[in-house]
Amino acid sequence: MKGIILKNERLNDKYRLMEIESPEFAQTAKPGQFVMVKTGLQDYLADPLLRRPFGVVDVRGNTFRLLYMLVGKGTRLMTESPAGSVIEFSSSLGNGFKSVKNQNIALAAGGVGIAPLLWIAKLLKDDGCRVTLYFGGRNQEDIILADEFRPHIDKLIITTDDGSIGEKALVTAPFEKDAAGFDRVYACGPKRMLQAVSEICVKGGVPVDVSLDERMACGMGACLGCIIYVREGEETVQKRCCVEGPVFDGSKVVWESVCR
Amino acid sequence: MSVLKVNICGVEFKNPVITASGTFGYGLEYARFIDISKLGGISVKGISYNEVRGNPMPRIMETTSGMLNAIGLQNVGVHKFLKEKLPLLRKYDTRVIVNFWGKTIEEYVQVAEILDNADIDMLEMNISCPNVKEGGIAFGSDPSMTAKVVSECRKAIRNKPLLVKLSPNVTDIKPFAKACEDSGADGISAINTLLGMAVNIHTRKPYISNVTGGLSGPAIKPVAVRMVHEVSKVVKIPIVGMGGIIRWEDAAEFFLVGASAVQVGTANFVDPELTLKIVDGLEKYAKSQGLSNISELTGKVDLSK
Ligand SMILES: Cc1cc2nc3c(=O)[nH]c(=O)nc-3n(C[C@H](O)[C@H](O)[C@H](O)COP(=O)(O)OP(=O)(O)OC[C@H]3O[C@@H](n4cnc5c(N)ncnc54)[C@H](O)[C@@H]3O)c2cc1C
Ligand SMILES: Cc1cc2nc3c(=O)[nH]c(=O)nc-3n(C[C@H](O)[C@H](O)[C@H](O)COP(=O)(O)O)c2cc1C
Ligand code: FES
Repeated sequence: MKGIILKNERLNDKYRLMEIESPEFAQTAKPGQFVMVKTGLQDYLADPLLRRPFGVVDVRGNTFRLLYMLVGKGTRLMTESPAGSVIEFSSSLGNGFKSVKNQNIALAAGGVGIAPLLWIAKLLKDDGCRVTLYFGGRNQEDIILADEFRPHIDKLIITTDDGSIGEKALVTAPFEKDAAGFDRVYACGPKRMLQAVSEICVKGGVPVDVSLDERMACGMGACLGCIIYVREGEETVQKRCCVEGPVFDGSKVVWESVCR
Repeated sequence: MSVLKVNICGVEFKNPVITASGTFGYGLEYARFIDISKLGGISVKGISYNEVRGNPMPRIMETTSGMLNAIGLQNVGVHKFLKEKLPLLRKYDTRVIVNFWGKTIEEYVQVAEILDNADIDMLEMNISCPNVKEGGIAFGSDPSMTAKVVSECRKAIRNKPLLVKLSPNVTDIKPFAKACEDSGADGISAINTLLGMAVNIHTRKPYISNVTGGLSGPAIKPVAVRMVHEVSKVVKIPIVGMGGIIRWEDAAEFFLVGASAVQVGTANFVDPELTLKIVDGLEKYAKSQGLSNISELTGKVDLSK
């Protein structure tokens, strides 16, 4: 699919927010899904070669948004794609977060892991859930989109490693204190954080869905480059993060194989 | 589209663009995204007798205009493939080539016998995967071993044409191609991935758990073109050329140095529709060159000074 970049906004030195117009995509995407993206420049250069996976932040009318952190070549080229230029992407991929009604929900985000949580927060809130967001980062720079969340959540708890905003702690510290009170938890962020959140949830008997990042070549289940391991009964089975994920039951993930 | 119709080892393909093994799953993964009936053929992920879970993660890393992979020939095994994948794939109007391998000659023969009686169009024997210790590369890096495994499989295969897929990780590819032809191969596929490595300078560790991986994508195209050219000089059987094809122009280059059909691998990851764009591009090119069939291009490189 192709779309027009409407906005490619710099949030700070580390993050950008891109808004893309594509009615076709906007009609089909679901919260928690992701998209493989390639800029016009990439197409021309053949380096970087592969498309890059990004979570869908939300869909509004005919547009959708991506939040991206500057990492390397691919994201650098994204910053160089101005409003008005064309960008190529896959259809919406993977399974998303399931929506539930009238429950007490916690969202736990680490850094750019906030990206796929805004949309599900909106839906949950509309469906009568009480939503608390635990949002952790290295410093203030990582606490992005928090203001956009406010109308869709009941409570926001921010932590940073350096205390530049919110509590000086890991996001798991305040979360652990409250965890047992939630009906369900959705989490996205660094793998170690997701592991810690899942372990807390398992201890408290709370269902937990985590959105995992794995390096992806195809994003559509063909290359087998994005394998993660989950427990099914006594067995350890392989799943493709792109097709069977990126959202997995955190209590089933074999974390030793995922956090390398 | 008769200008693109080709006959490879007695099998007619509606066009000469085939998806390369390991880059298109069992075909079904892509059926949701493109019309796979428009492809000349699909070479499925390398099949072995038993199910194989592959190498530990991480298995892939992007490199300059290419990628490294060490998937480790993960597959569902021949029985599950025939039962669960093939019937679904056969619903599409495209040729099915089954790429296969074994850890021993006996296992190669065992899988070949089963596939020979299956509803498929062609076999492609992989003696060239750099990512598994047993099998694969061991048979592809010594011409006498190549001759042995090809002739043993040849005896077991009675009903289908046999392609043998060569490794580029040898100093001279010609004796391998010759050994295949002499041992009864009906065609040659070339090339598989080039052995490569990439290191993270911050952690000082290799990016891929297997340390080395197979390099594919546009970065390897000049090597692949050279090797297909060399192979074409020593064999008369058809060559299916591949390695770094990402545009129709790349495919045309392979025809010129001797290919009768092409496979497209890594490009499927970059854009699932690229193969179809290559089909269109080749058709226009063939017509603009005044060819009545694309095969008139095969081996027509002009080496005169
Ligand atoms: C399902 C999914 C959703 C994601 N959602 C977001 C998001 O919403 N916002 C965001 O900023 N990032 C997200 N990421 C991570 C993002 O894909 C990488 O940061 C990005 O690919 C880096 O590309 P680069 O060219 O700038 O970096 P490079 O380091 O040059 O990339 C080299 C290779 O590594 C891969 N890669 C690097 N980091 C990652 C990573 N963390 N995960 C997967 N592949 C990686 C690249 O795709 C590329 O193939 C997501 C990853 C996945 C798998
Ligand atoms: C992820 C991946 C998996 C592969 N798996 C197989 C395989 O199972 N059997 C095989 O013969 N070749 C396999 N290959 C090699 C390709 O079929 C092809 O020969 C090679 O990638 C070069 O072509 P390309 O540059 O167009 O990708 C694989 C390649 C990649 C990238
Ligand atoms: S990225 Fe290729 S199988 Fe998941």
